[in-house]
Amino acid sequence: MNKLGTVIRFSFMSKIRKRSFVVTMIVLAVLITVLANVPYLLDKYMNKDDQPLNIGLVYEPQPQVAEKLRLVSDQLKSPGYHFVDYKEQTSDSQLQQDLKSKKLDAYLKFSKEAAGGFPEVTYVSKSGDDPDQDVAAALQNVLQTVKMQTIAGGSLSDSQLAELATPVALNAEKAGSADGEAGAKSNEASEAANYIYVYVLIILFLMINTTTGSMIASEVTAEKSSRIMEILITSVSPLVQMFGKIIAMFLLGLLQIAFFAAVVGINLSMPHNIDAIKGLGVDITQLSLDVFLYGLVFYILGYFLYATLFAAIGSLVSRTEELGQAIMPITLMLMVSFYIGIFSIATPDAMLIKIASYIPFTAPISMLVRIGVSEVAPWEIAVSLAILLAATLLFGWLSAKIYRTGVLLYGKRPSLKELGKAMRAYKM
Amino acid sequence: MGQPLELSHVFKQFGDKTAVNGISLQVEQGEIYGLLGANGAGKTTTMRMVLGVIFPDGGTISYFGKPYGPAQRHEMGYLPEERGLYPKIKVSEQITYLAQLRGMSAKEADQSLKYWLERFEVPEYYDKRVEELSKGNQQKMGFIAAVVHKPKILILDEAFSGLDPVNVELLKTNVKMLRDEGTSILFSTHRMEHVEELCRNITILHRSNPVLQGDLKEIKKRYPRESVLLRTTGPVEGLERIKGVTAVERRERGYQLAISEISAAKAILSAAVEQSEVEHFEIQEPTLNQIFIKEVGESNE
Repeated sequence: MNKLGTVIRFSFMSKIRKRSFVVTMIVLAVLITVLANVPYLLDKYMNKDDQPLNIGLVYEPQPQVAEKLRLVSDQLKSPGYHFVDYKEQTSDSQLQQDLKSKKLDAYLKFSKEAAGGFPEVTYVSKSGDDPDQDVAAALQNVLQTVKMQTIAGGSLSDSQLAELATPVALNAEKAGSADGEAGAKSNEASEAANYIYVYVLIILFLMINTTTGSMIASEVTAEKSSRIMEILITSVSPLVQMFGKIIAMFLLGLLQIAFFAAVVGINLSMPHNIDAIKGLGVDITQLSLDVFLYGLVFYILGYFLYATLFAAIGSLVSRTEELGQAIMPITLMLMVSFYIGIFSIATPDAMLIKIASYIPFTAPISMLVRIGVSEVAPWEIAVSLAILLAATLLFGWLSAKIYRTGVLLYGKRPSLKELGKAMRAYKM
Repeated sequence: MGQPLELSHVFKQFGDKTAVNGISLQVEQGEIYGLLGANGAGKTTTMRMVLGVIFPDGGTISYFGKPYGPAQRHEMGYLPEERGLYPKIKVSEQITYLAQLRGMSAKEADQSLKYWLERFEVPEYYDKRVEELSKGNQQKMGFIAAVVHKPKILILDEAFSGLDPVNVELLKTNVKMLRDEGTSILFSTHRMEHVEELCRNITILHRSNPVLQGDLKEIKKRYPRESVLLRTTGPVEGLERIKGVTAVERRERGYQLAISEISAAKAILSAAVEQSEVEHFEIQEPTLNQIFIKEVGESNE
């Protein structure tokens, strides 16, 4: 045990002291920070002048419509625009003059004919572009109301009109969770949060596993090709060596996760970003602890399953150049399991992901997706975990055997048959 | 307590190929034991079995009378033929790491490393990375890595290969010092002159079989003295006509003669004294090199 600690400490420290590692971490942290602030910065940049737009309202030739528009629009709290009335007959050139002199940002004019009972509305601005999204939505809303009032022509009361104007709400509710409107609403927010959460977790799983996995494999190969392996295997049992390395990289992975989580956390807790997240309808406080804990358990087991394989492969390769090719199958397996997760996140009850959640190599991600965004019976989780645990132990044992043999085999990468022969010869 | 290292009838098979066929040997305290053999004769396999990396199929290996176990690992030091260290890690870090793996405390390991760096007169390498050192100096660091934890049994596989003469001498001095301090050393090499200088007992392996074994002096006595070195001031005629002389070779200063019986030596000397002034006359015992080639080379055909 004492030696295991020594191996862990040495592997961990020699990795963390590497300049490339530190640089990568910093670069990624900067990248995350930039990405997290992009919505805010974009927002800031796009609406440099947060002043409401000055929109000219040309009364002629539809003074009643214009009047109504004015009235309805005055009831809005902050429509994002401000009407400047042109009650008298105004020539286009006059209006254009005002546009040029920046008195107006744009103006609205109505057509003379009221086809279907309502005139056409034109939004004229200097650039000729559509109005800004928010302003357009507000204007459309207001115009819709005015149109209804005009067409209904007083045959309906204001409250009836208002009722007509509200869109039909289609409420989705999970069967059996009829705890009223408030419950449904928070459910929605937490579900959205869970989606994002699951996304983040599986991306992290892929990232950390591929990076630490290839680190493990390349370390083993490097030790082999630099021939220090000869000294190592005579000092400490290969099993201790392999698991020491795997645990060291595991801790490194945890450190990376914690570091990135801290970076993300700091960024998200900036006041300007909190609003942005609320705007997305995501409530971070609604993240479920269950998903986190299951995520951790599946992460650990999945990590050890893959890491032992990476170590075993690394032990078979004598030269670093051959390593990339050798670890390809495992990397592919990781990618497949990742894509099954990503593509099934919208349909977590599909057969594909259900099956995948019982195959040890895809189970960590698949089960996590199912737990996160769907309903999974406890027995299903238990079965999946049991299979994963059994596979981790089996492959850990097998990898340890391969490792013991592999570190002594130099030269070209052995075939399975040669490996089996060597394993028998070395009595392992 | 048994011998520091004792192999008895150790046997190892890889598939249908026998790698080591029944080797027995004992290394006493403070002894350098030579393990000789051509490439692929089974030296490295024997050493790996001693190191506990692979297990013998038959026979026993005992360390101070005990079988192999984790505790025995601490008592062994190993300098592999293809030695290596972490290229990008500081000498101090990796050697203390290796010493700790052999059961030393970090503090002891550090002291021992400093002691050895002093002994090799290179204390400034403590903070250097291995890739910054020359090849010869890397080998020195490899040697330190093998002995830093004060092993009782030291296994040196081709310890001096690839070193310049100065460094060979330096390493040889240190190996002898370790021997005098009581370390038991199992030593393999192709260089016979090193064996003659260092080893008391040897085993020659040929195609997995131990063909010749025992005390180096005893072995040499068993081989007839078939060689005479003669150095004279002037030329000596008629040497080849002396009975028992099988070959005469003219050297820069004198003659190298091969004889079939020891009595011929006397005749050679008297002939030389008659004709010229003798500076040097020696009936040479066979060199290990000759014995080796005789044993291994003959059966090679």
